[in-house]
Amino acid sequence: MALPNQQVVDYPSFKLVIVGDGGTGKTTFVKRHLTGEFEKKYEPTIGVEVHPLDFSTNCGKIRFYCWDTAGQEKFGGLRDGYYIHGQCAIIMFDVTSRLTYKNVPTWHRDLCRVCENIPIVLCGNKVDVKNRQVKAKQVTFHRKKNLQYYEISAKSNYNFEKPFLYLARKLAGDPNLHFVEAVALKPPEVQIDMAMQQQHEAELAAAAAQPLPDDDDDLIE
Amino acid sequence: MDDLEQAILLASDATAAATTPSVHAEALTFCARARESPPSSLLRLCLSGIASSPHPQVHFWCLQTLHLAILRRQIVLPDDVALLRSSLLSLAVSSHAASPPFLRNKLAQLVALLVRLEYPHVYPSYFLDLLPPAPPQPGPTDMFARVLISLDDDLLSQEYPRSGDEATDAMRVKDSMRAQCVPQIASHWHAAAVTLRTADPAAAAVALDAARRCISWIDVGLVANDVFVPLLFDIAMSPGSAAPLAAAAVGCLSAVAAKRMDARAKVGLLRSLLVAHQGLGSPDSGLKMAPLVTTYAAEALECYRRLGPSDADGAAALEMLEEVLPAVFAAAERCDDEEVDSGSVLEFLSGYVSIMKAPSEKQLGHLGRILEVVRVQMSYDPVYRVHLDVLDKVGKEEEDLMGEQRKDFIALFRRICRVAPAAAQLFIRELIMTALSSREASVEDVEVALTLFYCLGEAVDEDCILTGAGLLGELVPMLLCTRFLCHSHRLVALVYLETVTRYMKFTQEHVQYLPLLLGVFLDNRGIHHQNVHVSRRAGYLFMRAVKLLKAKLVPYLDTILQSVQDVISQFTSMDWANNKDTKFPSSEDGSQIFEAVGLLIGIEEVSPEKQAQCLTALLNPLCHQIESLVIDAKAQGLEESSPRAIILQQIIVALNMVSKGFNERLVMVNRPAIGVMFKKTLDVVLQVLVSFPNVRPLRSKIISFLHRMIEILGISVLPCIPIALRQLVLDNEARDMVEFVVLVNQIICKFKSSASAILEEVFPTIASRLSVILSQDAFSAGPASNTEEIRELQELQRTLYTFLHAMATHDLSTVLLTPSCSQYLENIMQLLLFTSCNHKDMLLRRACVQIFVKLVKDWCTNTEDKLLGFRAFMIEKFATNCCLYSVLDKSFDLRDANSFVLFSEIVIAQNTMYERFGEDFIVNFVAKCLPEVHCPPDLVEQYYRRLKANDVKAFRAFYQNLVEKIRPLGNGSLGSCVIDVYRATISEIGRCILRQYLNRVWQPWRSSYSLYSSEMQGGSPPNSFC
Repeated sequence: MALPNQQVVDYPSFKLVIVGDGGTGKTTFVKRHLTGEFEKKYEPTIGVEVHPLDFSTNCGKIRFYCWDTAGQEKFGGLRDGYYIHGQCAIIMFDVTSRLTYKNVPTWHRDLCRVCENIPIVLCGNKVDVKNRQVKAKQVTFHRKKNLQYYEISAKSNYNFEKPFLYLARKLAGDPNLHFVEAVALKPPEVQIDMAMQQQHEAELAAAAAQPLPDDDDDLIE
Repeated sequence: MDDLEQAILLASDATAAATTPSVHAEALTFCARARESPPSSLLRLCLSGIASSPHPQVHFWCLQTLHLAILRRQIVLPDDVALLRSSLLSLAVSSHAASPPFLRNKLAQLVALLVRLEYPHVYPSYFLDLLPPAPPQPGPTDMFARVLISLDDDLLSQEYPRSGDEATDAMRVKDSMRAQCVPQIASHWHAAAVTLRTADPAAAAVALDAARRCISWIDVGLVANDVFVPLLFDIAMSPGSAAPLAAAAVGCLSAVAAKRMDARAKVGLLRSLLVAHQGLGSPDSGLKMAPLVTTYAAEALECYRRLGPSDADGAAALEMLEEVLPAVFAAAERCDDEEVDSGSVLEFLSGYVSIMKAPSEKQLGHLGRILEVVRVQMSYDPVYRVHLDVLDKVGKEEEDLMGEQRKDFIALFRRICRVAPAAAQLFIRELIMTALSSREASVEDVEVALTLFYCLGEAVDEDCILTGAGLLGELVPMLLCTRFLCHSHRLVALVYLETVTRYMKFTQEHVQYLPLLLGVFLDNRGIHHQNVHVSRRAGYLFMRAVKLLKAKLVPYLDTILQSVQDVISQFTSMDWANNKDTKFPSSEDGSQIFEAVGLLIGIEEVSPEKQAQCLTALLNPLCHQIESLVIDAKAQGLEESSPRAIILQQIIVALNMVSKGFNERLVMVNRPAIGVMFKKTLDVVLQVLVSFPNVRPLRSKIISFLHRMIEILGISVLPCIPIALRQLVLDNEARDMVEFVVLVNQIICKFKSSASAILEEVFPTIASRLSVILSQDAFSAGPASNTEEIRELQELQRTLYTFLHAMATHDLSTVLLTPSCSQYLENIMQLLLFTSCNHKDMLLRRACVQIFVKLVKDWCTNTEDKLLGFRAFMIEKFATNCCLYSVLDKSFDLRDANSFVLFSEIVIAQNTMYERFGEDFIVNFVAKCLPEVHCPPDLVEQYYRRLKANDVKAFRAFYQNLVEKIRPLGNGSLGSCVIDVYRATISEIGRCILRQYLNRVWQPWRSSYSLYSSEMQGGSPPNSFC
């Protein structure tokens, strides 16, 4: 899976596919990781960008090759062909745009069609924005599909590590795996309002107890 | 084809993208261009690629290309379509299970798309062609299932956003399948499950997954029968079944249980499932079929709710529910497992508890089990014990996670407390007894027992705690004299303190336990605990205890003071200043212990001598410490973040907290000696301000202290105020302005006209800032309005309007007329007028109108005016723009409560103007303004009559009616026109003021207080404007 010009590494590496509507912040998210950005030696290319992101865990180093599929619609490219051999994935939506959340099931379906049974994290990005449109309690998709959900803010680095930690634990099969070094991130561009975020997280917890919305509208046979 | 194959391989290769971007880009372009070929040749190109290439990427690309071409309706010629269909069907039929899943899925997606477009009207036998012959083989079974799954994903399932066309197509496909082939398909699933469960469990699992997706829309009897259901149970429960296959079987059974139908039919269906698998209620079922048992129980509960307990089927539903409860409990106990949807388990349990009115003996048993589930789910994992004690990163994360996880369980626990309070108390008693008596009781056991005890306290009435109703009379004393083996652990110690605090009301009625309660807070379970988080929290909780019980604590005053002595002196020691690494919430900054002591000393039950003695012992050392720190700092300087500055802050905070126990009546009236002591303290603190006015954090602590002193020392503090204010405006930046004006506002409200001299002195400073600040637009909507700066500006603006309002309403309007202040009058009036007409915040507008009303009353009588030009301004500008135009604007919504309040104020303003200006007002408003806005003459006349009648309520109703009547007469946007003109004026005012302010006011004002005072520039302006 390693790319020759990005120095072959002798520690485990995984192909991570990042999908989601345009403008949800996929590229911003991967670029927060400084080593990934630093090692990216090529110019942005058509269809997909691959960023190697390294993390130090108590079980040693691991690398995620993040396939950032940004801009694929515009440039054509190989579309879901890029997902082939993906080992884990992040589906990103933007909590300030309802449509991007509405499209999450479609991204999930298209992803699973190509990569069966891989660990997937759902990320609600831009939680630093005050005027959010998708409230924590409205996010229920992950519960139906057994995905992990995290609220993140790529701009403020809020929860940056969480998706990677979850995927690393799943891929290593070790629920106690943890990162041992702080990840070098770009300094946050905005400060997240922790009080507000705590409120969202409380909503999220409350939402976990709610029934899933009933969406099978077929009537009695 | 060879070129295309090369291009596809290159394009899918990330290595190529990285090493030779130009070649990679060329390959992508080549592939894209190939897709532009004429449909017929594109079709043949793709089919040949699939037939001849050995590379899966090439197959994928070809299938993807065909999918796009069909989707875009590019392949339309009948021959082409037939070729495509037959090729795909034969590919699907011959597909073998060894080809990569992503290719089989892509092929299935294509076939599903054709089904959507052609079935049954163009080609009716898709399913018959694809249906694998008996006995089912893995390859065709897998492919057929994938087609059904794709069809579900891309057309039938409601999980995805669907267009109207898709919904129509879905209905057509389902109807045709029901009529044509659903029974055959169902028997195929059965056959596949039987034949392949051991031979190829993966293929069998996919077949059952397809079945699960169809159950909601096919005749449920095709699966829910005495052949299929037993097979599914057997697969689900058999230890030999592969996990995905077992999960697929459970999925089918859950889909059967969840099938929509009326309640009575559902009871029958649920009963049949119970018959088919006698052990459905066993814990083993709960472990292996968690989703099924939760769905089953939730469905049974729903039937019971719908049919009611008196209905035979309803009662049967409840029986069935209770039969599967052991399985649900087993599932609930592994809620952290991924396969268990803890949300739905919890939801069911809460629902079940909520149907209990008076729980039967049996139900009490179930409640006991649920309580145990709650306890287990709320317990920490021992692996985090050390992390949680030292609260490192891992510990913090675990604590947050648990906090979230617990919320729902706590809600469930409270519900049980309401349904069966006695059972809940008994449960807690058992837990506490075990935790106390067992040497093995772990940190986690004790912690969860105490947490639940705490939650019980939130669920019972305050009266029950006071009297010790039920078991509480036994439990609370037990708690008070408890010391756990693991009490040194942070979590245990914290939750112990919180729980004691929760129940401390009990000691109000049972004073014999007060020494025990004090022990909890003051010994090494409380403020002397080894963990600083615990000891500080204990300080805060102790303060709350003192607040509640202070009168009852007088006999223990000496003991308490002795116990807290070391903690108090620690607060202002060097150690503290050096220990700033750990972040504490403000309720745990350690200062609350001073508040507690202040509260204790400050009550009248303490004798005057004792009070004076205690207070001296407390204040004197702190004052001496300040004095010596100031001397040192004067010699060596004072850095903002130096230990010396931090200790000074700490001391001032401590003094502030002590003073919270005292009120003005005690300090100034009953025991003036105490007042003298605080006054002396204030002098000492002001020395800090005089010597170091620019140390910002210190300054804010001093301001807080000043607030307190004004509160308790009252008028006697007045002579100190000017010195303080003079220091506070030095280097006063915008962000400091709020603090400063809030202090001034307190002075105004507290001292009213006695503060006029002070106000006269500070007014120019505030006024010069005010015009600049208020003329900025801080309240417009839009994404830009959310920044921190804007919020700060809004706060400042509100504070400044409050300032003007306070001045006007506390008999200080004369200050505005003094020579040093009157030069700002015009700008202020314009700003007030602008705001009263235009501001987004209706309450601010109302405040401005109130200011005008008050000024009219203060400055104008029927015979003479104190301010030349004011009368004309009010009549010509205010009356026209605010009283008329602004309310005529269609944005003024009289149904909005705040707007209505403003409207009432505007009506009062008219009454007041009429009262003071008489005919002058009438001439302009009645004879000029109203006709200008096309007010009909009869209404104008009525207006005059009603105004004269002097009945405010009736006049308001009339005026509202008038506004509503004349608004449609072309007046809807009058307000905004006026506002635009004003906006331009205001920003110009802002610029002028800024210049003026720098040149004429700020510099001289500052230098007049510096050593070399310079002469004020410019004479005093005349008392007039406009």
